[in-house]
Amino acid sequence: MLRIENLSVSYGAIQALNDVSLEVPPGRVTAVIGANGAGKSTLMRTLAGLEKPQSGQVIFNGEVISGRKPEDIVRMGIALVPEGRSTISELSVEDNLKLGGMWRSHAQRNASLTRVYSLFPILKERHHMGADTLSGGERQQLAIGRALMTGPQLLLLDEPSLGLAPLIVTQILELVALMARDSGLAVLLVEQNATVALRIARTGVVLNLGEVAGSGTSAELLASEELRHIYLGTGS
Amino acid sequence: MTFFDHLLGGIASGSVIALMAIALVLVWRSTRVVNFAQVGQAMFTTFLALAVYRGTGNWLISLIAAILAGAILGLIVHFLVMRPVRRQDGSGAIIATFGVLIALQASASMIWGVDPQAYPPIVDIIGFEAFGRTWPFSRYDVLVLGVTVLLVLLLSVVFTRTSLGLRMRASAFNPTVARLSGVRVSQMLALGWALAGSIGAIAGVLIAPTFSVTPYSFDILLILAFTVAVIGGLDSLVGAVAFGIGTGLVLSLVSGYSDSGNASIVALVLLALNLLLKPEGVFAHHHSRSV
Amino acid sequence: MSMKIPESIRELPGAFFLRNAIIVSAVAGVFLLINTQLEPTYSFYLAQAAMYATAMFGMVILVGLSGQVSLGNGALMAVGAYTFAITSMNWQTVPILGLPWNAVWSVVTAGLVGVIAGLLIGGLGARLSGPYLAGLTLGIAVGLPSIIYRFPSFLGGEDGFALRVPFPPGGYAAQDGGEVSAADAAAEEMSNEGFEDFLAEAGGDSSEILEFDQEELATGETPLVEDEVLEFDQDELSLEQESTPDLVQDVDGESPPAEISESEDSFVDLVDESAGVIDLTGFVIEQWQASLAVVMAAIVGFIALNLIRGNQGRIWKAVRDDPVAASLVGLSPQSNKVSAFVISGFFAALAGAVMAQIFAYVGPALFGLTLSLSLLVGVILGGRSSLVGAMVGAAFIVVLPKAMETFAQQLGWEDRVADNLPNLVYGLLVVLVVLVLPAGLVGSLMVAIRRRTQR
Repeated sequence: MLRIENLSVSYGAIQALNDVSLEVPPGRVTAVIGANGAGKSTLMRTLAGLEKPQSGQVIFNGEVISGRKPEDIVRMGIALVPEGRSTISELSVEDNLKLGGMWRSHAQRNASLTRVYSLFPILKERHHMGADTLSGGERQQLAIGRALMTGPQLLLLDEPSLGLAPLIVTQILELVALMARDSGLAVLLVEQNATVALRIARTGVVLNLGEVAGSGTSAELLASEELRHIYLGTGS
Repeated sequence: MTFFDHLLGGIASGSVIALMAIALVLVWRSTRVVNFAQVGQAMFTTFLALAVYRGTGNWLISLIAAILAGAILGLIVHFLVMRPVRRQDGSGAIIATFGVLIALQASASMIWGVDPQAYPPIVDIIGFEAFGRTWPFSRYDVLVLGVTVLLVLLLSVVFTRTSLGLRMRASAFNPTVARLSGVRVSQMLALGWALAGSIGAIAGVLIAPTFSVTPYSFDILLILAFTVAVIGGLDSLVGAVAFGIGTGLVLSLVSGYSDSGNASIVALVLLALNLLLKPEGVFAHHHSRSV
Repeated sequence: MSMKIPESIRELPGAFFLRNAIIVSAVAGVFLLINTQLEPTYSFYLAQAAMYATAMFGMVILVGLSGQVSLGNGALMAVGAYTFAITSMNWQTVPILGLPWNAVWSVVTAGLVGVIAGLLIGGLGARLSGPYLAGLTLGIAVGLPSIIYRFPSFLGGEDGFALRVPFPPGGYAAQDGGEVSAADAAAEEMSNEGFEDFLAEAGGDSSEILEFDQEELATGETPLVEDEVLEFDQDELSLEQESTPDLVQDVDGESPPAEISESEDSFVDLVDESAGVIDLTGFVIEQWQASLAVVMAAIVGFIALNLIRGNQGRIWKAVRDDPVAASLVGLSPQSNKVSAFVISGFFAALAGAVMAQIFAYVGPALFGLTLSLSLLVGVILGGRSSLVGAMVGAAFIVVLPKAMETFAQQLGWEDRVADNLPNLVYGLLVVLVVLVLPAGLVGSLMVAIRRRTQR
């Protein structure tokens, strides 16, 4: 579904991503784990079109998408939930949701809205309230809901666990995993908290200093001494 | 004249100040820039409208010409100056708007000269007669107030009830999230500039008959509109309208009881007080001033 | 400027000041020397350019180093000019000391009042970021003339004050001292009245701007304002032409009294004495005015150079670039923003005092928004952070209108077009410079040179 080929991204002199290649299959969660500054967020932002790659390309459903604008990429079916609860606090909950996928037909959007409300009933309850009145977990749900409103085939989740209680994180992520399995949605999940991510994901990729340091099934990754050393620093 | 008379006399001028403040707010909301050239643009389109009026003899056509010219001028300033300048620090953008203002005033002086010109009112500018006296409120004031109210209603409906308005608001508040949601933010920003240009143009045409039109006579309107927009929080249309009309009333009272020359001093005092006491504006969203 | 100075000397505490003093005196000396060779007209341009440069040195610190866009510096110049005028007209002795009052005391007082004014505006503006500060100072610039109108007896109202140019120590050599003092008396006598006709035409009644006097409306008169107060397009000093002003006062190389004299006969005597026709020792009044202005610019330039190159310059930049980081290392963003305003207020007031001397007049028409805008334009064109840039900018805003005038005359353009050409060029240049050369003409040149020498 999504293929990343030899992707390199830099900010001025800083090489954020170096020759990264990976594939994201449909219908399941793929995790990208790594320490702070490993290039995880850069990867997500590049996929969504917020950063321009220096070299390499991203192919989505057979089309090269790298270098396109974010508003075009989201129309092709890739939705990013950026780091840090990306809701618009000045708008109501429902307006935040309605903002997603405005180019779609009325029927499609209504269907998506019903689905988001059934996934996250709390949002329906608070639909008229300002987004700034929501708790952290509710806002994360709203951010994911807004992304789902665009009718994505690939959902990019950047550090959804940041600043949330573990219980809430687990709830949200399990919902996402369920959605992936049921609807064929591909999910790329970026997490610093590897244990959480690998519990949800089937396969994972480890990024270290902008390069792919390893990949495999979640079980393999959790067991790998080498990766524990690189990433968790607990090896020896 | 009684206290009430002075209040009545301030409504129409307050409406025009409010419209001008709305133009500033629209630009601020879309691109986080205070467009100090806004009033210069309005001055320019007012001259254009005056030329059209003299050519056609039709007030409505001249108003429409001003609206179109305002939108086009807004787009020109946005695309030629403000979009290229956005990557620089804040001072660059502020200075650029003053550059535009100077250039517009100079071009207007070149084309139309600096002598005051009269813009004839479309309806009676003499106050209504009732109860045996003339009231300081004319048909023209009714027109100005009516157009203002209509415009504000139209804008608030567009902003709160339509998907276009939602996209514009989202683009203003959080362009990144808006883009990620599929909103073509750059179009929304351009639309904000065009809309502001048109509203400023309407304000210019409306105020022209009660004002002498010269390339520089709108400067005071800039101060007043800026003051009003800032007191309202720069983000708030409601604030712009409320404080615009409020300022009109205050100015009318001040000039009624003391001297009209005090208007700019009053504006200055209001502005300074507001910035000291409540720098984030009365109607502002809480983080609007961190930019 | 890499003079070969041994390390040991360079580290001496006085060496820093000494080097700056040498640089400044060298530059000022060159200009003073040039001044002796100039035609009066050109000396008068030099005087104006030096006066603008003095104020712009403050703008370099305020806008460039401290990052505060201010349109209030024209008002600060007015503070200096009015202080100079009022003290030199009314004060006979120095308080406490009891010494006889002279122009130097007036200049010092002007500077001090400028410091206070800068403190007030800066204190008001220190909490404000970008557009808010610009808007507040814009309000001050636009509102200033109205404030002056409010106090006709103290500030001279619309008419302003006519001044006499302080004479060189000992006068213009030994010719006819008696006549000069007669002229002095005339000047003092006339200072409050002589300009009425002149300004009734030029400044007019300020009031009509944004008030809709319903009584007037009721009578069916559209209040056509004959004279706009808050801008001094029509308030130009040269009344013959109906023209918009350039950003700088278009004085056509003659000091204003020469033209004022045409509207006020009793002024002729004074004017004949003081407006450039006295040539006693080969040193005409314009040259004297230019010398004064250059010396003032040199003093201010020396202070500015020491501040900019010294510790304070780095502090201002640090606060501008990252106020949070600056406050973490103990630098107060607010007090350093205020200090930039105080310094620029001091410089602007001194420039204002010079302005009062070279125009021999102070009045609201001189201090409209146009003046503040021209200061901003000059600093942006030359280079926001460079003193040399400010000098180039000052020269630019004095010379460009003259050049444009000649240019337009040659092409036979209408006055209306020709008169406004400089402003159009300024506006477009400001936009262009901000877009293409954010460091200004000189600033960008310096960057280019530095890059080349580093390779």
